[in-house]
Amino acid sequence: MNEQTVVMDIVNLKKTIGKKEIIKGLNFQIRSGEVFGFLGPNGAGKTTTIRMMVGLIGITEGDVVIEGKSIRKDFKGAVRHVGAIVENPEMYPFLSGWKNLKQYARMMEGITEERIQEVVALVGLEKAIHEKAGRYSLGMRQRLGIAQALLHNPSILILDEPTNGLDPSGIREIRLYLRKLAQEANVAVIVSSHMLSEIELMCDRIGIIKNGELVAIEMVQTKATEATGLIVQLEVEPVQGALQIVKGHVAGEVVAEGNTLTFSTTRETIPVLVKALAAKDVAVYSVEQKQASLEDKFFDLIGENVIG
Amino acid sequence: MGNFFKLVWNEQVKIFGRKSAWVMVGLVFLLVVGSGILTNSFLDEWDKKEYSSDWRTELTEENAALEAEIAEAGDFGGFTQQMRIEQNNVALAEDIQPKPYDAWAFTYDNTFMMMIVSLFAIVTAAGIVSNEFKWGTIKLLLIRPIQRSKILLAKYVSVFIFTGILLVTLFVSSVLVGAVLFGINDITQTSVIPTMSGEYLVMNYMTAIWQEYGFSMVSLVMMTTLAFMISTLFRSSGMAIGISLFLLLSNGALMLFLSRFDWAKFVLFANTDLGQYADGGTPLIDGMTLGFSVTMLVIYLVVFLAASFVTFTKRDVA
Repeated sequence: MNEQTVVMDIVNLKKTIGKKEIIKGLNFQIRSGEVFGFLGPNGAGKTTTIRMMVGLIGITEGDVVIEGKSIRKDFKGAVRHVGAIVENPEMYPFLSGWKNLKQYARMMEGITEERIQEVVALVGLEKAIHEKAGRYSLGMRQRLGIAQALLHNPSILILDEPTNGLDPSGIREIRLYLRKLAQEANVAVIVSSHMLSEIELMCDRIGIIKNGELVAIEMVQTKATEATGLIVQLEVEPVQGALQIVKGHVAGEVVAEGNTLTFSTTRETIPVLVKALAAKDVAVYSVEQKQASLEDKFFDLIGENVIG
Repeated sequence: MGNFFKLVWNEQVKIFGRKSAWVMVGLVFLLVVGSGILTNSFLDEWDKKEYSSDWRTELTEENAALEAEIAEAGDFGGFTQQMRIEQNNVALAEDIQPKPYDAWAFTYDNTFMMMIVSLFAIVTAAGIVSNEFKWGTIKLLLIRPIQRSKILLAKYVSVFIFTGILLVTLFVSSVLVGAVLFGINDITQTSVIPTMSGEYLVMNYMTAIWQEYGFSMVSLVMMTTLAFMISTLFRSSGMAIGISLFLLLSNGALMLFLSRFDWAKFVLFANTDLGQYADGGTPLIDGMTLGFSVTMLVIYLVVFLAASFVTFTKRDVA
């Protein structure tokens, strides 16, 4: 694991439009090598915050400090370390993917042809790079957007709703890719989304924003080793026989719904349970585990999706 | 500086990356060719005539013949003959031997196409900022380590580079098409030059062409800057084209109407035609001078640009 340093420091960040306070004082830090999820319902202020991070909109109060440089006082020094896609990855439709990248390459020092080729290969766009960007599918544009954001080797990558409009395989690809980027290149990644399921799979930490306030920062456990909080779903046949066996191994309540049994248990219990079921000739079609605590917490915090 | 050059280069790639730019350049060329064919078919025997060293006698005889033609034509017609007589009289009075119609005369006549070039310059200026908003690319453009004012300046400069390309196209194709169709005389020779307004200039074609391009450039730069400002302020190319084009086409009528008011001299269009001060002409409104007009133009230009730069650098890009 690489050493973690603070790449972005968000200090009491506020945004007021007219008389309405949109962002009400955010405080958090993003460290190198982590994927940080920025989660909240639509209208909670995710995009506004991201726009302040990259200097697209003014900051009413507070600051965003990137690699020690304030985006307010030293825009060029700060934004140099940032690669971003804000909302949709919009490109010049009449230019080829390659020419689009050249546009951005010309705006920074020291981006060579080799570097552009490297980035194109990284996002897997070699075949289509000389086609007009207007003919790209959303997935291809998303990749071109990421390529554009990575050209200058940024230390922080900001992606606003990166999986919007992508198919499941595209989402998976982006997820794996971002993880790799964080782990191998030690890049800090910020991903915003309104979908917990997506963020949960991608991120190390999640900041939950609601009505312009950060209501919680949660660590995401990649392996559920805690004794509690693991929800297991079994799809079995016959259900009645299985229910008896499961009850023998599990302390809490077991809910039977159709062919599915849902209960909470520890990770270690699962293989023991499957063995026991098999021994009694119960057919096990699937075993799924869910980390319930985060989802519950999210809905506790967000409540209904109220904008305002 | 290398940095700024790259930004301008980027803008040129974006301008010429679309078909519209090529259509504009192509259209200017085709219009010149069309104008050449039309001019060629309307040239009469006098326009092509080579006069000998005894040209004064020839002109006098020609005028007599023209008078006879006019008498014959009666009430209807005789206009071209009348104009020719006038031109011949000027030539006689100024003692200038007439030359046949040539590439330079054609280039001079084609300066009316500066109107088309202005139109294309306005369209380009109107889109160069607002399109980035329309395409959504503004968000990727403004998160580079470059000051916004520098990006906007690169855009402004790029509009005039493109306009320059259109101007060169107009000039070069006029000279070439003119040379092929009509031949070419000495550009520095003093000539009697009929103008669009039915008067006659006595100067060489080089000065006349240079003057005409220069005067048209003034209004081109002002209208283009106005379009650029509207495009930056309202992020709408349609609005920028609409307003600028309306004002470009109607400013003559507008000023005619407004010229009775003394304050009208502060209106932009009262000052865009610097030709009104050339050759001791009378200005639109009493008391206006070249110095006054130039000052007004500079003030308008500074205001337009200041409004553009302040909004562009301060704006929240949502």
